Amino acid sequence: MMRAIPSLNGRELTLAGALLAALLIFFAASPYFATADNLATVVRNCVELLLVGLGMTLLLAMGAIDISVGMAMGLAAIVVGRLLAADMNPALVAISGPIVGGLLGLFTATIVVIGRIPAIVGTLGLLGFYRAAIFLSLGGEWLSGLPTRLTTMLSASAGGVPVSVIVILAAYLVVWLAIRRTPYGPHLLAIGNDEERARLSGVAVTRVRFATFVISGLLCGLAATFYVSTYRNVEMTIGSSLALDAIAAVVLGGTSVLGGRCSLIGTVLGVVLLRVLQNGLLLIGVPSLWQTVVTGALLLVILAAEVASGRFSLQSLRWRTY
Amino acid sequence: MLKSLKLVLAAATMLGAASGAAFAADKNTVAFVPQIVGIPYFNAMEAGGKRAAAALGVGFIYSGPVDTNPVDQLQIVQNLIDQGVGAVSVSVLDASSLAPVVADAKKKGVKIFTSDSDAPDSGRAFYVAQATDEGLGFTIIDEMVKRVGDHAKIGIVSGEATASNLNAWIGFMQKRVKDKYPNVTLLAPQFAGGTAQRAAQIAADLMAANPDIKGILAVASTTCPGVAQAIETAGKIGSVVGAGYCSPNTARSYLKSKALGFTVLWDPEELGYLTVWAGKQLIDGKALSATNTVQGLNHPVTYDAKTGVLLLGEPAVFTAENVDKFNF
Repeated sequence: MMRAIPSLNGRELTLAGALLAALLIFFAASPYFATADNLATVVRNCVELLLVGLGMTLLLAMGAIDISVGMAMGLAAIVVGRLLAADMNPALVAISGPIVGGLLGLFTATIVVIGRIPAIVGTLGLLGFYRAAIFLSLGGEWLSGLPTRLTTMLSASAGGVPVSVIVILAAYLVVWLAIRRTPYGPHLLAIGNDEERARLSGVAVTRVRFATFVISGLLCGLAATFYVSTYRNVEMTIGSSLALDAIAAVVLGGTSVLGGRCSLIGTVLGVVLLRVLQNGLLLIGVPSLWQTVVTGALLLVILAAEVASGRFSLQSLRWRTY
Repeated sequence: MLKSLKLVLAAATMLGAASGAAFAADKNTVAFVPQIVGIPYFNAMEAGGKRAAAALGVGFIYSGPVDTNPVDQLQIVQNLIDQGVGAVSVSVLDASSLAPVVADAKKKGVKIFTSDSDAPDSGRAFYVAQATDEGLGFTIIDEMVKRVGDHAKIGIVSGEATASNLNAWIGFMQKRVKDKYPNVTLLAPQFAGGTAQRAAQIAADLMAANPDIKGILAVASTTCPGVAQAIETAGKIGSVVGAGYCSPNTARSYLKSKALGFTVLWDPEELGYLTVWAGKQLIDGKALSATNTVQGLNHPVTYDAKTGVLLLGEPAVFTAENVDKFNF
């Protein structure tokens, strides 16, 4: 079940191959693709999705989902933006994102876990609720042209590696250790496989589910900090396409949308592939309108290829044949 | 149970009658119903309406829904009609549902007209329009060419591909370039959806794919900050001029950093002023002429009797120099 997180499994190899192919095609087709500036742009574009996608990976692996993640990031971004505008110390501003995100995760968990509401329904309700909160707190006016102090701090680099990359590596490492070296991982997947059986075999289901929503919230808040530092702007529509992008990237990466299977490397590859496609297609002159078609088709093709090769069976969808 | 319900109903009726009486307004009053209260754009229209009311000696009521709910908006319009104000102007949320309300208002002798957002087939007296799609499309191209020259390559970042107003503006941009600036290369529009983040990504990609690009036009207001941020991040301030249809408050810091050279929109304060002026003409029974001089506005206002459109005028251009005079 926990197979081969360090070494690449089938889906991850497929995805790595697709990414390599995309890189080669764009490199051949556009002289502007493999430039330092453009690659920096691609990396910058991945940041929020990598963080939110990490939380989504855990949620999906647990058989849950959160479609309000974009709005949670938006609310945290409003707090980060307001504190930044109020001239607060940038280090405090930076951690305000994850703090608010964690609190929102706690709230989401309370509704979904304690309230025993199916995650997709509960977070759909919260999506509307959070969106209204964003609208009311912005009052029709965006935070725009925020000070550059946070940007200066987070765009620094340590030994040539940008702070954002270090933070993301650290986040993935911590989650990887939690999955591999603590009971959290097996419990998470046990719940994803069969919640009732997990409960009967002594897994603290409520506690694990609670923790996972809080972790996802923390990561959304961290994404908010980077969002504000990169764009220095919080608009009314912030995060509106983030949840679907995150779910697409995570599922592309081989985490089962029905729970019980999880791949962190797959998520990273899924996010990078999505962003590289968005960037490269535009560079070779494909109108942005077609990008959603291409990413949608990619998702279908990869799943179809796995069904065809027998790696992905109806059993893995847990269709029961009684 | 039924008894208490009746009691409540009776109390509510009395309360309604009392408040109706309290708000009973005289005929010399113009009301404006925005799409939503509490946002800077409509606050500016309200301020213009108040200025006109004071200058023209007419009463002014500003009342609207707290969210963009068409049913709530119609109820407010209906309440104003029942109060018997002289004229009610509406920034329409749902064009299809205004007609019955207009018919009812006619019976009660209340004039209904639209402002800011129209319902052409509703029987409204006329529509006070902020700017034409043609004016907006032509102005942004003219202003951009002034800054980047008539041989430049210019990109377009729009919002949703389905937004008919944005597509109409893009159509007039393309027409202007084709008719007037044959040597300008206008790239095919890119669509960023609703987020500034995606707009920033697309603007960065456009600059990477077109190293000789001279200008980027942000069509949806949500794309303005994204395009500006991308120009700043790419270190292209000065070599690439950003511009768009967005409000001074959204664009202010980017206009000052020169990431945006200018933005194009209209002045909602003037639109609010013109709305109350137009309502006063209706109350006084004065017909509009093809060109009208409006006391308090420094430019003439045209009226097209065929379409029933009273046009505020050319769009306003906001730059680093004049942006601080506006707050919306």
